[in-house]
Amino acid sequence: MASKSTSIESPYLPVPVTIESVESISATERLFRLSNGLASSRSKVSVKGGKGGAPVYSPGQFFMVGLPGYGEAPISVCAPYEPGFGIELCIRLAGNLTGALHRLGPGDTLWLRGPYGTGFDTEGFKGLDIIFIAGGIGIAPMRSLLLAVLKERKSFGALRLLYGAKSPEEVLFTEETEQWQEAGLETEVIVDKGSKGWKGRVGLVTDLMGPLKPTPGSTRAVVIGPPVMYRFVVAKLKRMGLSETDIQLSLERRMKCGVGKCGHCQINSSYVCQDGPVYGLGDLKGMGEAFK
Amino acid sequence: MNETSPIPPRFLTKRELKSLLGALIREYRAYGPVDSDGVPAFSALTSSAELRFDLSPTHLSAREFLLPSKETLLKFDLTESGPGVVITPVVEAQPQVIIGLKPCDINGMALMDSVMAAGVRDVNYLKRRAATIIVGVECLPDETCFCASLGTERAESGFDLFVHLLPTRGVLVRIGTEAGAKILKKYAWGRKAVKAEIVKLEEHYELKLGAFKARLNALPEELPGVLAASDESPVWQSIGSICTGCGACNHVCPTCYCFDVSDELSSDLKSAERLRVWDGCTLDDFTLVAGGHNFRKSRAERLRHRFNRKFNYGSERFDSLFCVGCGRCSRTCLVDINITEVTNAIIKEVKESRG
Ligand SMILES: Cc1cc2nc3c(=O)[nH]c(=O)nc-3n(C[C@H](O)[C@H](O)[C@H](O)COP(=O)(O)OP(=O)(O)OC[C@H]3O[C@@H](n4cnc5c(N)ncnc54)[C@H](O)[C@@H]3O)c2cc1C
Ligand code: SF4
Ligand code: SF4
Ligand code: FES
Repeated sequence: MASKSTSIESPYLPVPVTIESVESISATERLFRLSNGLASSRSKVSVKGGKGGAPVYSPGQFFMVGLPGYGEAPISVCAPYEPGFGIELCIRLAGNLTGALHRLGPGDTLWLRGPYGTGFDTEGFKGLDIIFIAGGIGIAPMRSLLLAVLKERKSFGALRLLYGAKSPEEVLFTEETEQWQEAGLETEVIVDKGSKGWKGRVGLVTDLMGPLKPTPGSTRAVVIGPPVMYRFVVAKLKRMGLSETDIQLSLERRMKCGVGKCGHCQINSSYVCQDGPVYGLGDLKGMGEAFK
Repeated sequence: MNETSPIPPRFLTKRELKSLLGALIREYRAYGPVDSDGVPAFSALTSSAELRFDLSPTHLSAREFLLPSKETLLKFDLTESGPGVVITPVVEAQPQVIIGLKPCDINGMALMDSVMAAGVRDVNYLKRRAATIIVGVECLPDETCFCASLGTERAESGFDLFVHLLPTRGVLVRIGTEAGAKILKKYAWGRKAVKAEIVKLEEHYELKLGAFKARLNALPEELPGVLAASDESPVWQSIGSICTGCGACNHVCPTCYCFDVSDELSSDLKSAERLRVWDGCTLDDFTLVAGGHNFRKSRAERLRHRFNRKFNYGSERFDSLFCVGCGRCSRTCLVDINITEVTNAIIKEVKESRG
């Protein structure tokens, strides 16, 4: 998103976008639906791709989302790109900036730049069975991929989502999961700790993996979750016979620039903001820091 | 910085050099090495008499002049809210000249240039770099310098002018760019150097190469492999246990460029700035994320990362090592973590394990 109309092309210059709606989807998460295109602005900003045009992005990519005076943070797209529709972001209340974002409502403005990073290669998944394994807020970026796949349900084989959250209160998109189920995505949810009224399973997301019988070569596993999850999930998938090319994951790191300069997101020689956040397991070979 | 067909070196008398430097200091914002209370340091110059070319590498590198330790990226006018906020990118570049950059630092700056120009261009840095004239000066190593082990003891490019102080009365000036030629023609063109003078350059390099006390016990091209094989080395634990995590080694390094970005609101809340400030991978919170997870939990891991960044990771991304052997990190470390000693310990271990 280079700025065309400014004389100075700063890679750090964000564009304003209007919030269309905000939905509180848990005690700590809100779903922001942004309007399509840019807010009219007194700042001289524009997006590559045309007048008021929204940026095009792939599932798995992220934007640097910010507010003047509060800073910026990397936030993944939560729904796939669709012409005529705005960006969806699911934001967890985690600190200063996300706190300020949570105070915004419809009609308010947020600022973003991007999209950045690698996305999922949805085309490359066609004809294959897919196992989606999400933990915690990892369901937010996963949703962009799920929805993209479900839009073309017939092009894929068996689809299964295993989703783990800390508690029933932290399970996101509960109502939507029913729709996903109907659309042909077998969904199982598990929580670390149950509570009164929770009829679902209690345990770790790996506990849901027992019955999986993936066919190596014609199955893709996609993993997005907190750092602790990867090692165990990946080990289990490998034991089931999946190879490095069968497994894809999205990694989180601290990010301050999104454009390969600030050094914060580096894992060995890889910059997560550019080479990731989506990696094939094979890309991470020799990168001892990947699952820290 | 356009490379041109090389103009042969020029000979200047000491007096001509003085008038060249004097003119640069008058005409530009000029920085150069001075003796600052016993510490070699880059400083804004008012006279060429302040310059000292006989000192160890400056305490801080010249990074400050291209990537300031604190820099405004964006200015926010918050008089109106929402989309009414006016955001102005700040890209400042005033003509400046850096005098007395040593070969290590010139090579370091070239690495910085390649990082900032790769992929998304960091215009703040690049504009400043384009507005900067570099006048290099040849030197001899102190007991900590080890550039010869990395092939960075000579500067072949990356400067506009490069000065060799000859043992006799004058200096030889190599011309690196058209801008350099223009400046020289304008202020002190001297005369064409004769063969006997050019031969002196090679004599100097022979003297220089023989003068190093600190060395790495491996070839530069061996280092990425050595570092890659050192993940489990006990050396990281042992230096990690004494490192204080102060970040000074990052701070002084000519090839460290990591930064943090944060916003600062004015006290009347009517304006704000998005600032970037130097950060360092040896600082404890460098990889800390919201929620409390730290991807490099221990000092040992953080130092291993720093050494890998210098001797390994860059070779994949930029086809180069990222240490230029200036020795600044060793000189500055309060607990005496010495980059050549540590790297030699790693080299020894890895070579022994390979048999
Ligand atoms: C690729 C990617 C995608 C992401 N997608 C999403 C998403 O879709 N939804 C979502 O909710 N979150 C997402 N995150 C996480 C999100 O970026 C963080 O939750 C967010 O940065 C928190 O910002 P904050 O200012 O509110 O928090 P703060 O805690 O105020 O943190 C501000 C910055 O400082 C760092 N920091 C935090 N604590 C400290 C400390 N004690 N000392 C020093 N520094 C500290 C943080 O890492 C952050 O960079 C994503 C992260 C990445 C890398
Ligand atoms: S200067 Fe020394 S003590 Fe400070 S962070 Fe570097 S290695 Fe550690
Ligand atoms: S790592 Fe140390 S010796 Fe190497 S360039 Fe940086 S400061 Fe100089
Ligand atoms: S976020 Fe700055 S380098 Fe990746």
